[in-house]
Amino acid sequence: MTRHHPDSLSLMEYSAGNLSEPHALCIRLHLDKCTHCRSRVDTLDSLGAVMMEQQPKVSVSETMFDDILAKIDSTPAPEQPAKVVPKISLLQKLLGEDINNLPWKRQLGDVSVLDITEKFPGQKEQVVLQKLGAGGKAPAHTHRGTETTIVLQGAFADQKGVFNQWDFVVLTDQDEHKPVAVGCEDCITLSVLSAPVKLTGTFTRMLNPFIR
Amino acid sequence: MNKVTNINHATVKERPVTTLDQKPARAEGRKDPWSQLLVKVGKEQDRQAYHSLFEHFAPQLKYYAMANGMASHAEELVQEVFVSIWRRACLYDWQKAAASTWIFTIARNQRIDMLRKMRRTSAEMPVETEDLWQIPGEDDNQPVTSLHRLMSERRVRESLSQLPEDQITVIAKVYMEQKSHQMVADELNIPLGTVKSRVRLALSKLKVILQDQNV
Repeated sequence: MTRHHPDSLSLMEYSAGNLSEPHALCIRLHLDKCTHCRSRVDTLDSLGAVMMEQQPKVSVSETMFDDILAKIDSTPAPEQPAKVVPKISLLQKLLGEDINNLPWKRQLGDVSVLDITEKFPGQKEQVVLQKLGAGGKAPAHTHRGTETTIVLQGAFADQKGVFNQWDFVVLTDQDEHKPVAVGCEDCITLSVLSAPVKLTGTFTRMLNPFIR
Repeated sequence: MNKVTNINHATVKERPVTTLDQKPARAEGRKDPWSQLLVKVGKEQDRQAYHSLFEHFAPQLKYYAMANGMASHAEELVQEVFVSIWRRACLYDWQKAAASTWIFTIARNQRIDMLRKMRRTSAEMPVETEDLWQIPGEDDNQPVTSLHRLMSERRVRESLSQLPEDQITVIAKVYMEQKSHQMVADELNIPLGTVKSRVRLALSKLKVILQDQNV
């Protein structure tokens, strides 16, 4: 069980670029607001650079540098670097509209859900948004496999504590909880549910056409 | 008496090195030759500087590509990374990341991108690789101070040199071969728990582990 911040091992897999897109999304959303974890990832990115530096070197073809120069000269640089493109939030880009205007499907009582797995083609995890109405209660439940959650709006509380916006929670089938939305806003979370089989890395490998 | 003189001599000899080590991180970043070359590329489109970076980093990047199973596309990855370095260099800020860290993150993203394209899923996915994996310093909202970043670069190199081989092996497989902790365990034929505890030991040395929560 991981609460409030991602654990170091996940951050390392993130920095190495080994996480699936849905998991990377949860971490990225958290990093945007958490200075502390951001600096942990900075250290890990440096670790990646130092690892790369300490590995063997392989010489590249003699013409490569000229090929690169030719490529640079033939394609004019974009007028403005990507940086100045007006920024819409990552969530808005993903969802296409404001989080409160989504076609939520009411489930039990105060709980509504929206499955957004289709936004991540080629991934094995299920990705769902869940909304717990302000002051609402969810029935007690456990989790199948591992569920990685990030709080997008509002806050919820369970017997282990209060989880505020951008908090990060990982629950396993060992964790039974009974969340309650606290505060005056609906609590919205994004959860990534791991597939029943362990295939984080293996799956990428299988799909990787470079490996014969 | 003689002995004392010798010690003094040695101290004098070593002093410049010690001073360099204790310089503030800011000054250290200014001294990192690769970061300064990258700044020149960004500000002046300096092709000489660009070539020096190529000579230094291209062989590392090629190994990186080969180690993670992209052998037949290794040169393509190196090329793409360098074209990207040229185009983005104007966004590079040595106060936010060392050149080697910045280049590593570009290479990592390029690899993810190439795999996505091979899977033909990139067009259908509304978010891009760089929405999910950021290049340090390219976001104005970045709250972390430059001082911290440069400290971390130096600290990593120092801490890594003190780690036992078995911990480094595991980290190398995660970073260079893109293996999950489970895959590393399978390959080395050791329990997953052992892999995780080796990584945790290494990360606590690097101070990535949160002190108060042990995560």
